[in-house]
Amino acid sequence: MFIGTEKLTHTYMPGTPFATKALHDISFNFKQGDFALIIGPSGSGKSTLIQHLNGLLKPTSGQVVFEGKNISSDKQELLRLRKRIGMVFQMPEEQFFSETVFDEVAFAPRNQGFDDNEVENKVIEALKKSGLDPDELRMRHPFQLSAGQKRLVAIAAVLSLNPEVLILDEPTVALDTAYRKNLFDLLTGLNHKEGLTIIISTHHLDEAAALANRVLVLKQGELAMFGPAAEVFGRREELYNLGLALPPVTEIMHGLAEKGMPVKTSVYTLQEARQAINEVKRRDRS
Amino acid sequence: MTRSITLGQYIPGQSFIHRLNPRLKILILVLILVLLFLLETFGALLASLATALAMFVLAGIPFSYLMRGLRPIFYIAFFALIIYFFFTSGGVVLLRIGFITVESEGVEQGLFIVARLVALVLFSLLVTLTTTPLSLTHGMGYFLKPLRYVGLPTEEVAMIMAVALRFIPTLMEESQRLMRAQLARGADFETGSIFRKAGNMVPLIVPLFVSAFRRADELAMAMEARGYRIGARRTRMHEDIITFKDWGALALVLVLVALVWVLSL
Amino acid sequence: MAAQPSTIIEAKDVDFYYPGGEDADSSALSGINLTVKQGEYLALVGPNGSGKTTFLKLLNALLIPTHGQVLVKGISTEVESTLPEVRRACGMIFQNPDNQLVATTVEEDIAFGLENLALPPEEIRNRVFKTATLLGLEKLLRQPPHLLSGGEKQRVAIAGVLVMEPECILMDEPTAMLDPAGRCDVLNTVRELNRNRNIAVIHVTHFPEEAAGANRVVVLNEGKLAADGAPVEVMTDLQFLHGLGLQGTTAVELAALLRQDSFPLPPQILYNRELVDSLCSLGQKS
Repeated sequence: MFIGTEKLTHTYMPGTPFATKALHDISFNFKQGDFALIIGPSGSGKSTLIQHLNGLLKPTSGQVVFEGKNISSDKQELLRLRKRIGMVFQMPEEQFFSETVFDEVAFAPRNQGFDDNEVENKVIEALKKSGLDPDELRMRHPFQLSAGQKRLVAIAAVLSLNPEVLILDEPTVALDTAYRKNLFDLLTGLNHKEGLTIIISTHHLDEAAALANRVLVLKQGELAMFGPAAEVFGRREELYNLGLALPPVTEIMHGLAEKGMPVKTSVYTLQEARQAINEVKRRDRS
Repeated sequence: MTRSITLGQYIPGQSFIHRLNPRLKILILVLILVLLFLLETFGALLASLATALAMFVLAGIPFSYLMRGLRPIFYIAFFALIIYFFFTSGGVVLLRIGFITVESEGVEQGLFIVARLVALVLFSLLVTLTTTPLSLTHGMGYFLKPLRYVGLPTEEVAMIMAVALRFIPTLMEESQRLMRAQLARGADFETGSIFRKAGNMVPLIVPLFVSAFRRADELAMAMEARGYRIGARRTRMHEDIITFKDWGALALVLVLVALVWVLSL
Repeated sequence: MAAQPSTIIEAKDVDFYYPGGEDADSSALSGINLTVKQGEYLALVGPNGSGKTTFLKLLNALLIPTHGQVLVKGISTEVESTLPEVRRACGMIFQNPDNQLVATTVEEDIAFGLENLALPPEEIRNRVFKTATLLGLEKLLRQPPHLLSGGEKQRVAIAGVLVMEPECILMDEPTAMLDPAGRCDVLNTVRELNRNRNIAVIHVTHFPEEAAGANRVVVLNEGKLAADGAPVEVMTDLQFLHGLGLQGTTAVELAALLRQDSFPLPPQILYNRELVDSLCSLGQKS
């Protein structure tokens, strides 16, 4: 097992009259190199679940597993773990506190105790990996960047640790279409070229659906579905009942299929849809 | 996510105590606190403790809340007992350990003080558990009203308090999230000297302030868009009406205080 | 002949620039002329920084034009003494549901605007209850806002506007931070109010699907009016939209790709259903 949980249960404020069960008996595992999605309506426990994966929250019962081992609660080990499992929070630009982009990105490597030279290398590398120009941006004030650039700087601030797993909580929230596409292109690149394992928690499937190979669905703190993307997305009705919408293009394909067109429905991008429809036309002719 | 954190300590309910006018509730609490200080016999104190407990039952407050409310004074009570037990002399010697003695006078006084403390806390708790923080601030705001004549904008202060109350849970959630986000980036909020610790808080405090100011800005805009104007006359959805019942409760407590006073003379 | 719908909002030669204006997010406007009639549902779209939010703020006197005039029901927004009437007639819903709820309970938040009008408490209570019931919030009246879901918070914000019996609701990307279920919830609520109560809606959005659902689309670019027409005219002009960095609906985008592959699709396809129907009828003909 690369990264996952075993019978994970999490209760907020246990032992008080306010105790609420946020997660119940969750077991799953993602493989190295996966592009995984954790989806579910808001309040289903997505954020709580991913915060367990790098030890920010401790399970009330059950285990979090990384590389076959239960993650420990030892402070030093947790620090090492968080270096390997990077986590980008929702609206990460709201964490900015430095006066330059450089310092912002350098925060994590500095915390890990690297010397100035190494820090500089890591910052420049992280900015490049995030698709940003280090020379242009390093001395800029992070608050003065565009919304899309801010988000990328926030991701660079985590990539500067060279993590093997990158977890992102709702990475595209409040970004418009162009920025969203840009961000997903970046994540695809990191996944393919750098072999980074990517785990995204989201309720916005439009861009993510096409990229994912493994999907976990949460419903009120319980595991509703888990499996290869094609299998989970095939259960359209169930997703719909959970208030989750497949990408509009997939809906179009389902619409065509319902009207009797023999078209493939596991289609998540415009180009795939175009191909699938053309294929039907070719078959018709022959 | 701190969905479960309720604002203040308020427990919703429809009991007589819940529905008492907040202004009078505060006034009555003050009177009861005075009363507790006037009481001089164990019997009277136990009676008031019993009254407090009965009122908790009437208000439908679970026992667990009562215990939670008492937890903060546990240590104070404990130390008070130790000090009285071991350092007050008089009466019969009850226990002798080496040269330390526990005498009956000390035990009596210790228990009396603790019982009074518990009663004070219980009655105060009763008020905070049965009154929304908003009514509580409005109630207290009422007693601040005379300050208007020395130039304090009491209406605006009340609005500020109400908005602050509204945003406490939001900001608490936010600071928790920020803390975890910076922890994920390897931040350390625990080790080091006090100065180092203070320095380490920068990644927490700066974003929290930035966000608070942004929120304030947006909120001000939203309030303005909804027609709020400083200094303009406003009304309130829930009028602060003092009913016959409220006066009755106040009168009852006044009689009690007077009675105790007279009896103790 | 039916009575002409009356004019609610009129912008006449509006110029606006921020004093000092260096803020990237707040852009200037120039030469805007726009009339909005009773019962219209107008989508306002445009790239980031095109001035959408600024324009919206001009419409309920949060900002005052530098040149020109904004009239709400014939009342100029410049006049201090009639501000309460302007803001009653034109309520505003903001993007972040957390930062627009003022009070500690839902009912007091809905009442906030009425309290500002210094109405008698009895009347406030009646109107709050009626509005809350209309929007299905009657069970949440005593709840503190932070315990609500995003969609519920936005509906409370809508209730707070609706209780003022407005002629127009202004919305600044009200669904950008919501999950699909919350989005649906908010959109349906607003559409119903628009249809059943004839309330005009001006809806700033970057979701092409939301714009397509309006009955009029206005495009802003660099502070100027770039287009104004029915969704079927504006949202199907991909060359124009792409030129501004905007997108058509998925159906429009897919139809364009298929036309390149010489599918003879009609030009006015806007919604998924239209694309599905056209494709199916093509299949039957061949």
